[in-house]
Amino acid sequence: MDLIGNLAVGFGVALQPINLLYCFLGVFIGTLVGVLPGIGPVAAMSLLLPVTFTATPEAGIIMLAGIYYGSMYGGSTTAILVNIPGEAASVVTTLDGHQMAKQGRAGPALGIAAIGSFIAGTLAIVGLMLVAPTLARFAVKFGPAEYFSLMVLGLSILTYLSHGSLLKAMIMACFGLVLGLIGLDSISAVARLTFDRMELVDGVGLVPIVMGLFGIAEILVNIEQKLTRQTVAERITGLLPTRQDWADSAAPLARGSVLGFLLGILPGGGAVISSFLSYAVEKRVSKTPERFGKGAIEGVAGPEAANNAAAGSGFIPLLTLGIPPNVVMALLLGAFIVHNVQPGPLLMVQNPGLFWGIVASMYIGNLMLLVLNLPLIGLWVQVLRVPYRILFPLILLFCIIGVFSVSNSIFDIYVMVVFGVLGYLMRKFGYEPAPLVLAFVLGPMMENNLRKSLIISDGSFWIFLERPISLVCLVLAVVLLASALLPMWRARRERIALESAN
Amino acid sequence: MSRLKLTAAAAAVAAIVAAVGLLPAHAQSFPTKPVTLIVPWPAGGSSDLALRAFAEAAQKHLGQQIIIENKAGASGTLGPAQMAATAKPDGYTLAQMPITVFRLPYMTKTTFDPTKDFTYVAGLTGYTFGVVVQSKSPWKTFKELVDYAKANPGKVKYGTPGTGTSLHIGMEQIAKEAGVKWTQVPFKGAAETNAALLGGHVDAVADSTGWRALVESGDFRLLVTWGADRTKNWPNVPTLKELGINLVANSPYGIAGPKGIDPKVVKVLHDAFAKAVQEPVYLESLRKFDQELAYLNTADYEKHAVEQIADAKKLIADLGLKKD
Repeated sequence: MDLIGNLAVGFGVALQPINLLYCFLGVFIGTLVGVLPGIGPVAAMSLLLPVTFTATPEAGIIMLAGIYYGSMYGGSTTAILVNIPGEAASVVTTLDGHQMAKQGRAGPALGIAAIGSFIAGTLAIVGLMLVAPTLARFAVKFGPAEYFSLMVLGLSILTYLSHGSLLKAMIMACFGLVLGLIGLDSISAVARLTFDRMELVDGVGLVPIVMGLFGIAEILVNIEQKLTRQTVAERITGLLPTRQDWADSAAPLARGSVLGFLLGILPGGGAVISSFLSYAVEKRVSKTPERFGKGAIEGVAGPEAANNAAAGSGFIPLLTLGIPPNVVMALLLGAFIVHNVQPGPLLMVQNPGLFWGIVASMYIGNLMLLVLNLPLIGLWVQVLRVPYRILFPLILLFCIIGVFSVSNSIFDIYVMVVFGVLGYLMRKFGYEPAPLVLAFVLGPMMENNLRKSLIISDGSFWIFLERPISLVCLVLAVVLLASALLPMWRARRERIALESAN
Repeated sequence: MSRLKLTAAAAAVAAIVAAVGLLPAHAQSFPTKPVTLIVPWPAGGSSDLALRAFAEAAQKHLGQQIIIENKAGASGTLGPAQMAATAKPDGYTLAQMPITVFRLPYMTKTTFDPTKDFTYVAGLTGYTFGVVVQSKSPWKTFKELVDYAKANPGKVKYGTPGTGTSLHIGMEQIAKEAGVKWTQVPFKGAAETNAALLGGHVDAVADSTGWRALVESGDFRLLVTWGADRTKNWPNVPTLKELGINLVANSPYGIAGPKGIDPKVVKVLHDAFAKAVQEPVYLESLRKFDQELAYLNTADYEKHAVEQIADAKKLIADLGLKKD
């Protein structure tokens, strides 16, 4: 069969010692980058891009790709251990992952994240191999109208993210939407909420906000508490997921992989959105949704699988159409061109060794990551025993370096500090940061696509109902919202009825 | 020698070194330390990579290293703006001047004034722009597309990498000249415009060569390029001028420093840059990223900047993009 022949060629390339070495370097750096809060794959890849100039195109691309999917593995580590997402895509992992760590189950949480990442990553490569060209052609059917409806569906997840007050979640979401408005408006290039500051013309960055709300705020909250630490460290039980954990996680892993794979192909924030969406799906289908937010392993398994599958499938539009679906892929596109290779429909035909070599290297890289990460779990768990007085200055340092490295801007550090204080106050008053982050990511995309749709339709709102994909998304959003809100209303009505009866 | 004496001697040496450092630098001795070139785009993009190749070529002739500092933001104006506000005019801090530096001050409030806050050193290069449609579309030539737009005002939707970009402004200039009306749909960069055209969400796309792979694969048809001459990569595709439309657009960019750099220092920099643009390593990188050499010496670049600023002001007003 053709596929097997191609794959054989690919492994022939990927198994060359020099390419194996680059692959290992890539996934190793990626793991580090993922673990260190704030320092993301974009910063690491752009710093290391010039290093690959002297290597062959295969080796260079294999290493850069390794950094990307490697960082998706590592991103969950700090999210689980210290409640600070290493990547924006790991924000959701903090919800249940850190709760598990608090209950002494950091090991199983890290274990399921690593193994889940491996399974999802591998499934995504199988998908990449089998259906890449067809699927990429399908993905371009998503125009502005379809994106808008998808974002509406995304925002309806909000109701699932909150385990406290829905009203507070909505307030945070509104705040996130407003933050997303800052900068030159993407359709008519008018400055909004910039207060004549040049730094705000491009808006506020996601990384400083996330690092502030989670990283800095976490430190501030914890300095108040003196004794809890010891108890966490002493309650650590078991390093690997139990049989029960596996049973609970199997279905979420499968669903997360499929979801992540599909969303990863679409241009624009696939990994972040898919992890949020996967969390919502798991909470929706769970028989015990009340466990979510209190250390449910499904809430770790699903999103982690989703963001890794999305990282894998993000390569599909780049390799088959030359369209990079996110910033990381755009960087890779630059790397390809530096090496005189043009990704696009012709890549597979003109450069089969490179195409299949990259695919094969991703199998190998994922395996390396698993081998690299499983033994590290024991080590990471020990981090929980590091005294706060040593751990916190380190976290602070990494947050600052990470935020600064994104665009060499001191202003971003101020933004992080402001959001750190804000995040601290939010925790104190019971407001959750996750809805804010989700709205901040989705809001600008939603507005942009709404306005583009209306330009295309000459102002008619029917465009959203006339297009099948868009219609399906909207219907799903309504169903999700109704299924979340109806029980709530019913409960309230019953309560009122009860009160009036009394 | 006692430890005290040693320390004293070290302090004396340090004082002398410091004093020398404080002496005014003479233009003749420029440059005595590495020069920083601010690239107002993220690392790894095509502009960044082309400028890195330029730096590599130029440092040979300058006799000092050129350090690239990426300072992205505000459509490529944040780097030059910060340089204008904070850098000393000693020739050791320079920045790439993208065309948005001339344009943004008329669209929104900026902290810099391109007419007086910079010392222009040299013009380097410009981009290749072109209009593509799907190969299965009925339009075989740019004229057919224009004719269709004439018969159906407002019906042709074209994608651009953003409102106020040279592509948007150029398409509207073409529309004005040809007497047609078409509608812009602004996207964010080539990834989005390519996907939108492939999916049939827009009828045409005006962009720099992000469409290259899809033109080569036969998915897209390149109808026209906007340069003064036909491109090397697509010699069969006519320019706008050949089609009777009086527009040449390539968003040329160059290098400038903060205002008030000693003309002697500017000359040293310019002479090194003039040689650098002929280096094979630089020309090769321009070919890779479809940028065409558009070298201008200091006097010409200053004149060019004045013209660009006047053009930008008029165009922004014509298109209704003006700030309130």
